Amino acid sequence: MNKRPFLGWFASPSILIAFGITASFLAIVQYSLRAHVPGSLDPGGFTLENFTTLLKAVYGQAFLNTVLLCFWTTVFTLLIGYPLAYAMIRAKSLALRSAILLISLTPLFLGEIVRTYSWMIVLGNRGFLNASLIQLDLIDRPIDFMFTMTGVVIALVHFTLPIVVVMLAAALSHIDRNLERAATSLGAGRVRCFLTVTLPLSIPGIVAATSTSFAWTFSAFATPQMIGGGKVQTISTLVYQVGFASFNFPLAASLSLVGLLFTIAVLAIFNTGIRRLEQMGAH
Amino acid sequence: MSTDPPADGPSRTLGKHAVKIDGVSKSFGKTVALEPVWLKIRRGEFLTLLGPSGCGKTTILNLIAGFLEADKGEIFIDDELVTQVPPHQREIGIVFQNYALFPHMSVTQNVAYGLRTRRISKAETETRVREALDLVKLQDFADRRPKQLSGGQQQRVALARALVIRPRVLLLDEPFSALDRNLRTAMQVELKEIQSRLGLTTVFVTHDQTEALSMSERIAVMSRGSIRQIGTPTEIYDHPQNRFVSTFVGDANLFSADLLRKTAQGARLGVGGTTLDLDTYQDDLPDPGPVTLFVRPEQCTLTAPDQPGAITATVALSVYQGSHAELHLDCPASEDGRVMLRVPCGEAQDAGTKVGLALPQRGPAIYAKEGGPE
Amino acid sequence: MRKTPLDRVLDWTGRLLLAAILGFVMLPFVVVFIASFNESAILSFPPRSWSTKWYVNAFEYRDFGLGLVNSLKIAAFGATLALIAGAGFAYVLDRYDFRFKALLNSVLMSPLIIPNFTIGLGLLVLSAAASLPRSTWLVVATHVIIVLPFVARSVYVSLRNFERRYEQAAESLGGTPVHVLWTVTLPLLLPGLISGGIFAAILSFNEFTASLFVVNQSTKTLPVAMYDYVREYADPTLAAVSVMYLVVVATALVIVHKLFRLEKVLNVD
Repeated sequence: MNKRPFLGWFASPSILIAFGITASFLAIVQYSLRAHVPGSLDPGGFTLENFTTLLKAVYGQAFLNTVLLCFWTTVFTLLIGYPLAYAMIRAKSLALRSAILLISLTPLFLGEIVRTYSWMIVLGNRGFLNASLIQLDLIDRPIDFMFTMTGVVIALVHFTLPIVVVMLAAALSHIDRNLERAATSLGAGRVRCFLTVTLPLSIPGIVAATSTSFAWTFSAFATPQMIGGGKVQTISTLVYQVGFASFNFPLAASLSLVGLLFTIAVLAIFNTGIRRLEQMGAH
Repeated sequence: MSTDPPADGPSRTLGKHAVKIDGVSKSFGKTVALEPVWLKIRRGEFLTLLGPSGCGKTTILNLIAGFLEADKGEIFIDDELVTQVPPHQREIGIVFQNYALFPHMSVTQNVAYGLRTRRISKAETETRVREALDLVKLQDFADRRPKQLSGGQQQRVALARALVIRPRVLLLDEPFSALDRNLRTAMQVELKEIQSRLGLTTVFVTHDQTEALSMSERIAVMSRGSIRQIGTPTEIYDHPQNRFVSTFVGDANLFSADLLRKTAQGARLGVGGTTLDLDTYQDDLPDPGPVTLFVRPEQCTLTAPDQPGAITATVALSVYQGSHAELHLDCPASEDGRVMLRVPCGEAQDAGTKVGLALPQRGPAIYAKEGGPE
Repeated sequence: MRKTPLDRVLDWTGRLLLAAILGFVMLPFVVVFIASFNESAILSFPPRSWSTKWYVNAFEYRDFGLGLVNSLKIAAFGATLALIAGAGFAYVLDRYDFRFKALLNSVLMSPLIIPNFTIGLGLLVLSAAASLPRSTWLVVATHVIIVLPFVARSVYVSLRNFERRYEQAAESLGGTPVHVLWTVTLPLLLPGLISGGIFAAILSFNEFTASLFVVNQSTKTLPVAMYDYVREYADPTLAAVSVMYLVVVATALVIVHKLFRLEKVLNVD
């Protein structure tokens, strides 16, 4: 009896793709160990020089910027995303729920460029925000949002929000409403009910949203590139700059590789921490 | 016991068996789903696999159907070795718990599915589908989708779909559990009629003892991956061979007793401060010593508290059941401190009343104490 | 139900908060809408005079038309290939045990963790090392790698929720594995496959970062063409493009919502 009649047919295309992924990963590893030959796209001999170059301050600053961006973006996205997800699931009127859903999700399907460009118009020195504030006589000179961390964080929060809302809403929608009714019947007010029942039960969703938000922000390129405009360098913008401005692909490769290892390490630490917490909760 | 090989041993001599299961076992990882089982199902027989969930009954069904592959042992259908035959070549009809009607096909397309796979001509397919729908009285619903049918109608479609291929064996996997009570009884009668009219070998899986007792020619009671007793409904109910069967099928009162000695008819027991001479059908009485005495509620009779030979008890609760009342007694002689019996509604007693309990000479069974060999 | 003063305060804070958040989400799109009608090439709020000339300009700019055609082509091929590979993989992942299953799974899902710029760079240096041309197929391959995890996951979820009894019933009725797959499994999975395919096409159409690394002048996708435009010109043409982009996406979402209910599609019902 053949228990796996379709194994070969169904697995082959994905195996082919897996080989493609592996090959391009190996290509990065290989390039990261090769010398840069100025003026040539072909790499030179084997060397570890790329990795020692990465010890320079500019790269350390990019790592620091990236981590700060990830941190602040994740914090603000969760703070804004949770109430939005809560309203999306719990609003009494169906029309309001649908409206929240559509408004929150549309940006997800708009792509990085449209969204970042729109924020450039909002945040620019002659942009909507500064123009409005000046007209209202709240400020005399434009506030610098463009080319600052603040501006990049604002746009990144907007960029990460939809996916975080989807994940939080999924978690909230799977909480049995009778648990909240039970808490209320036992005398808990709305605030206590939320803090003691709803919030703890949505923690798995918050955890998932946090790691997704981190990964999205880490890999964001268009937003720091366009809003940061070279003043806020992240790993992604540096990789692009090193690759396409200096054509130093070996260095770009080693920078991506270190960045990737860094992401994996952060996610691993995060997951271990969560598991520890869960174990503590279980005891 | 039926978990052992039959006296003639695991044989391959051709017999009149529609299904023969020869030492079949199945594990999932480290979990044993089925201990080695031997089971022969006669042609035309209605056999029920009865047991609590996780007892292995559905595993047997899936093994007969070919959805699972046995770890050890062989399965024969109509004397043909099918252990390695894939499900689609086994010619078996199945009615699933939730019917598994194809939602994207009409009733006719559902019923015709098994004929199309057999490349049967259009004309014959039409005739046979019509006959099958006639049989389950669904002529007028041929073009409906499953979603547009009631639970009972869906079940009839599932039955028609399974029967139209003229299966060698019909497998029923808890087919009534999704129906409400009245409809369930009606469908049971209808199914039983069709089954005996067609003389169809049927294996029926259920956890509902009432269903099993009313429909089967033989019942195999299962627990923890093995068959604990196999026999006619009367044998199972009246002469349960072990403690599990006695409590799983029907209600049981279990008393702590002392087997004093074996007698010509049966045994002499000490129970609740009195002595009882029991006529027993059992040929495997445990050795003298502490035993469990099993008595059906309807075998117990209520007496005056001081009647000689009666066990003393106190009424704890009386529950009105319409046709009768259930009397729950506190009784120190019982293993769990409680005894239940049924009395006509007029004879129900108030809580706190002292009563006597008389046990009959015929009927009760003796089992080794819990924990010992059953 | 009688409301306490605290309840009222909570209600109103909640409403204000929600309004503020929705305002934040919509703000850039409202602003870009206004800016797209600004007559002057230099931004000013509120615009001193209005014009639709940037819309005309958007249609006349050659790279946008070329980018749109490229993006549609790449999204169509990429989504189809990702759907075929992803659905096949989801099936073997759900149904079979085989050697290297866990390894295959982690490699295919790795693009969820690997940043898109790394994926783009990887395929760029791979094609350079293998002396492959930077053709449309390289872009398609990049997109397949990026969207495959999403497609495979969505089909895998459909398969997990799939009632295996249907297949067992069909098998018991004499259907061979291929016949059962064709007459029962595929038709019943079709909605999941279609929505997975559409999802993949949208992701691919929007993909920017990895594409930036692997395209050349002739295989440029629409997002890359838009990025290049911002770098070269400061006028509001891109605002006009953004508005059109937004209108198309929002309309599509409203239609999908009416047809399938997005809550169900996103599993937040």
